[in-house]
Amino acid sequence: MSADIGGTFTDIVYQDCSTGACGAAKVLSTPDDPALAVLRGIEAAIPTEAAIDFFVHGTTVGLNALLTRRGAKVALLTTENFRDIYTIQGNDRGEIFSIRWNKPEPLTPLEHTFTARERMAATGEAVTPLETSDLDRLVKAVKEEGFEAIAIAFLFSFKNPAHELEAADYLRARLPDIPIGLSHRVSPEWREFERTSTAVMDSYLAPVVRGYLETLIGGLGDRLPEGRGLHVMQSNGGVMTAESASETPLQTLLSGPVGGAIGGRALSAATGRPNLICIDMGGTSFDASLIIDGLPSGSNQAKLEGLPVQMSVVDIHVIGAGGGSIAWEEAGAMRVGPQSAGSMPGPACYGLGGTEPTVSDANLVLGRLDGANFSGGTMALDRNAAVTALTTIGETFGLTTEAMAQGVVDVVNAKMADAIRTITVQRGIDPRDFSLVAFGGAGPAQAGALAEELQIREVIVPVHPGAFSAWGMLQTDVRRDYKETLYSFWDLVELAVLEAAFAGLEENGRRHLLDEGIAEDAIAFERAIDFRYYGQEYVLTIPVPNGTIDMDAVRKSFDAAYDRQYGHSSPENRVEMANIRLAALGRLARPDSAPPAPEAARPTRERDVIFAGRPLKTPVLDRNGLEIGDTVAGPAIIEESTATTLVPPGWNAAVIEGGHLSMTKEAES
Amino acid sequence: MNDPMLRNIADPVTTEIVRNFVVSCAEDMNASLWRSAHSAVIYEGRDSAVGLLDADGNMLGQSSGVPLFIGAIDANVHHVMDYYGDDIAPGDVFIMNDSYMQGSHLHDVSVVGPIFFGGELIGFGAARAHWNDIGAIDPGTVMGSTNIYQEGLRLGPTRIVAQGKPIREWFDLLRLNTRMPDTSIGDLDAQIAAVRTGERRLSQLLDRIGIETYRAACKNIFEQARRMDREAIAAIRDGTWYREGYLDSDGAGDDPVKVALTLTVEGEELIVDLAGSSGIVPGSVNCGASQTVSLLRLAYKTMINPERAITGGSFETMTVRIPDDCLFNAKEPAACEWYFTGLGLLADLFISCLSEAIPERSTAAHYGDSMVSLFFSVDRERGQWMSIEATAGGWGGRNDGDGESALINLVNGSFRNIPAEVMETKFPVRLEEFAIRPDSGGPGRHRGGCGVLRRYKTLEDCYCALWFERSLTPAWGLNGGKDARGPKVEITHPDGSSEGPLKMRARPVAAGTVVETWTGGGGGNGDPKARPLEEVQRDVKRGYVSPEGAWRDYGVRIASDLVVDEEGSQPRA
Repeated sequence: MSADIGGTFTDIVYQDCSTGACGAAKVLSTPDDPALAVLRGIEAAIPTEAAIDFFVHGTTVGLNALLTRRGAKVALLTTENFRDIYTIQGNDRGEIFSIRWNKPEPLTPLEHTFTARERMAATGEAVTPLETSDLDRLVKAVKEEGFEAIAIAFLFSFKNPAHELEAADYLRARLPDIPIGLSHRVSPEWREFERTSTAVMDSYLAPVVRGYLETLIGGLGDRLPEGRGLHVMQSNGGVMTAESASETPLQTLLSGPVGGAIGGRALSAATGRPNLICIDMGGTSFDASLIIDGLPSGSNQAKLEGLPVQMSVVDIHVIGAGGGSIAWEEAGAMRVGPQSAGSMPGPACYGLGGTEPTVSDANLVLGRLDGANFSGGTMALDRNAAVTALTTIGETFGLTTEAMAQGVVDVVNAKMADAIRTITVQRGIDPRDFSLVAFGGAGPAQAGALAEELQIREVIVPVHPGAFSAWGMLQTDVRRDYKETLYSFWDLVELAVLEAAFAGLEENGRRHLLDEGIAEDAIAFERAIDFRYYGQEYVLTIPVPNGTIDMDAVRKSFDAAYDRQYGHSSPENRVEMANIRLAALGRLARPDSAPPAPEAARPTRERDVIFAGRPLKTPVLDRNGLEIGDTVAGPAIIEESTATTLVPPGWNAAVIEGGHLSMTKEAES
Repeated sequence: MNDPMLRNIADPVTTEIVRNFVVSCAEDMNASLWRSAHSAVIYEGRDSAVGLLDADGNMLGQSSGVPLFIGAIDANVHHVMDYYGDDIAPGDVFIMNDSYMQGSHLHDVSVVGPIFFGGELIGFGAARAHWNDIGAIDPGTVMGSTNIYQEGLRLGPTRIVAQGKPIREWFDLLRLNTRMPDTSIGDLDAQIAAVRTGERRLSQLLDRIGIETYRAACKNIFEQARRMDREAIAAIRDGTWYREGYLDSDGAGDDPVKVALTLTVEGEELIVDLAGSSGIVPGSVNCGASQTVSLLRLAYKTMINPERAITGGSFETMTVRIPDDCLFNAKEPAACEWYFTGLGLLADLFISCLSEAIPERSTAAHYGDSMVSLFFSVDRERGQWMSIEATAGGWGGRNDGDGESALINLVNGSFRNIPAEVMETKFPVRLEEFAIRPDSGGPGRHRGGCGVLRRYKTLEDCYCALWFERSLTPAWGLNGGKDARGPKVEITHPDGSSEGPLKMRARPVAAGTVVETWTGGGGGNGDPKARPLEEVQRDVKRGYVSPEGAWRDYGVRIASDLVVDEEGSQPRA
């Protein structure tokens, strides 16, 4: 079973281990106590006492605590003379044309930062020993000022952690009840500001994430086998047990949106399509991610609320465009978004008091949404309100209501296409080599037009597109990432040292996975090294095969990867190694997903839908009436409870293996 | 819109789609440049700019990694058009870098390519990027040059690709005039690729909407941008404002260099006059007129419609007048390598003038220049190594908040400090301290941001060079706010002797030398006596203001336990 906790809804997807059959349920989220909605969702999905072997969920509690600044009160301990590095940050300007830009507010203010005399050199040699008496100020402050956590970040602790460990011992003896986070454990990687930021964020989130997990474990009680089955989705696309999540709360930060990308990976394997662009369009935001050669495109650093975090994440590009995006006028020009009407008051057609025209209003006026059967018939839409909103703004541009509606949809499509270009064309990737996977409530209605714009030949609308992220979470492995900064010119690296370093990381990974209950033969490792040419700042992470390392082959694969990324390479230049990385994977056994069985569907209806300014009689079908092998010629509309798929004229939709819809454009004659 | 016919051809929807297109097309061009450039200064420092222009050389969409290059490259296109006239064919590519034509220094090389559609010239793509070496007297950056011939190879508009065919002798000539021929030609190829990217994407759009619709949409875009700017200028009260300041030196001699600016608002027009500024100077802080205009566009953008994208038609409401003999109107043989040093001061003067006219956007001066530290040498393991960084400082207090501390200067954007852990791992230099510099921000109701201290210690013999500025005219306050502290340098040699040169040409320093650099803060805004007690107390707790400074500058007594002595403090204004 999996749960995806969103801002408005919590989606539950469950799978019967014996048949592989999947089902979904949707309940309203409970932001004050998110565990409550999860428990309700489980009740709604499986009211029986059936045991849950494996439960994974994407949680936004950590992210929400960050966004609303409701984390722990953290005391930061740094090296003397470097107290200010966390507040100074990177000193680059977030908005280069602004003279009024301010840096992101740090999670703990300068007056909560303490220092100690100590210093490690770049070699790991202690230049100045730790002066433990300097820590007494911190001990006193924690007792008097009510700090809830301590983060320690000393210079070069990734090279030699002795002083961080010594300081932690000293503090723990005097403050036994305060959690203490050490930067070299949270992120053994160089760059003091980024590592400090990572350590502070981990300490800031820890109490919130732990409290939430305890509530959930208590609530699930004996439905989980020996209290072990609870898992949490990680930012890196793997899962971990609830116990691990309590130890490394940072890894839960991007737990929610990652499900879609992991679903994309499973879809890629199941349908034999190596390259996918996954788009998730809801009410306010449009998220795009890539699957390349069957794997989600990731990165080893993220920025959250402007603050850097050194951890492995699946890359997700977000822009403000969704069903609720508002159309407006400025100096005679038409704009759409990024402001959204959200769910309150929502689009004009929701009838909840919204008067501004949105993308959903435009889709309703164009006949693409069914006012009477929206959200599976649970909500009626007010077409008159949508017409009024669009007519009013249309008049300022001298456009008819229908032309205005078409315009809103065209403009928002162009923006989404640009967002996709940002993560493909601008990185040297040709979107025409990809299939577009559309999910989320609003995605399947826009995907055809987006594909036209980007000259993409196939659109896939997966089973249960509204709950695709939750389904994705069921398709993953246990994962933990390890890393070590090991700086050297590649030509000076001693093979034995490098192999010993990888072996050390693997030993840690194996011990961890065995503790997580993974069998020895289900454990696998993926190695990688960060490289760059001498003189460069940014690195490329290059996968390295397991076993004895072939130095020349690794060097050549860096040149080749560089050439793919930048269009040229410099095999004659010296190369630096910066970090080594290891992903420890525990493979989970799972049944293949079986497609949903066809159900009784309503007969095919017909209504007028406007395409390119012309109304066309368009058949409207229920998706649950379709069987594998069925095809539908566009124009057509395929409705289901969580989404509406639009098949544009000139496109055909087919139900493929697994029950997914594949839309392709007819070859132009 | 004046022309109903055009409006019919390009309705508001098409216009908005074309407007999004020209901006995203420029971003694609810049991404293409960054992706394939060979020099780190381009793909990491983002020292580049690209533009998509119409057939008359009007800027439609641009993308800039360095804010200083905003609105700079239309000058390149105009020079190509003037020089070649009708002699421009599909597939041609032109190159130029001359400081007097395009402004900036010779390191900045621009590439221009015409865009044809259906056999007709319909626009241009252009890409400017910083080359690491253009054959100057010194590798890297030149300090102390006194004429342009010391600064490298000069190129006016020059056709280097004719109808798709590279002209071999020109590429060879470029190769022979740089210390890094492979890198430089690699960067040139990347610039050409960026221009071609713009051409390709524009052709795709034109295939769909047609040239007439595109032209009508462009016309609408120009008109809308013009209207937004006119409305913004018209809303400012009419008047004339004057400000002046001094650079410490021109880098060659020790004389101060005067910079003066008069700003006039008249209805929908804004006029900038640089009369009163120094004439051309012997050192290298002269700047070509095009780049001066570009800087003033940047300063304008920070104050007028700052939240709007820059599209064609922006800046037409501004007129710039530069005297004939002026350091901002560089002419042969003036040296221009550090052309941006005076521009930082010029931007502050402009923003201060407009701050009087637009009190709700009032922003005091910032610390003002790139404040460059350089350590380098050659050794057996590393080969040639160089640690070069621009240093952050304080920004001006605003009408509604404190200035930011430790932030990179206006003309730069994406430059970051080098982490101690990276610097010490790679180079034989230790960073002993990196900290906020207390009391450096100008006192005010809204305090100026603070500068920083960076203390380096050399672990081996090497070379050191420095360029610090704005000690004569540190960031000034507004509306009763006080001036900030200026920069300071102290070099302590292993024998105990010390000195404090703000500018220093490269020279050897022994292992164990300590180099301390302090950057200036930003000016204060409003009466410091009006700053609430708790804000002064917080500044003291955070180390932005010392307890002595709290009394001296704000009239607030802070006891040793950091508690405010309300009785002993002066009343708040």
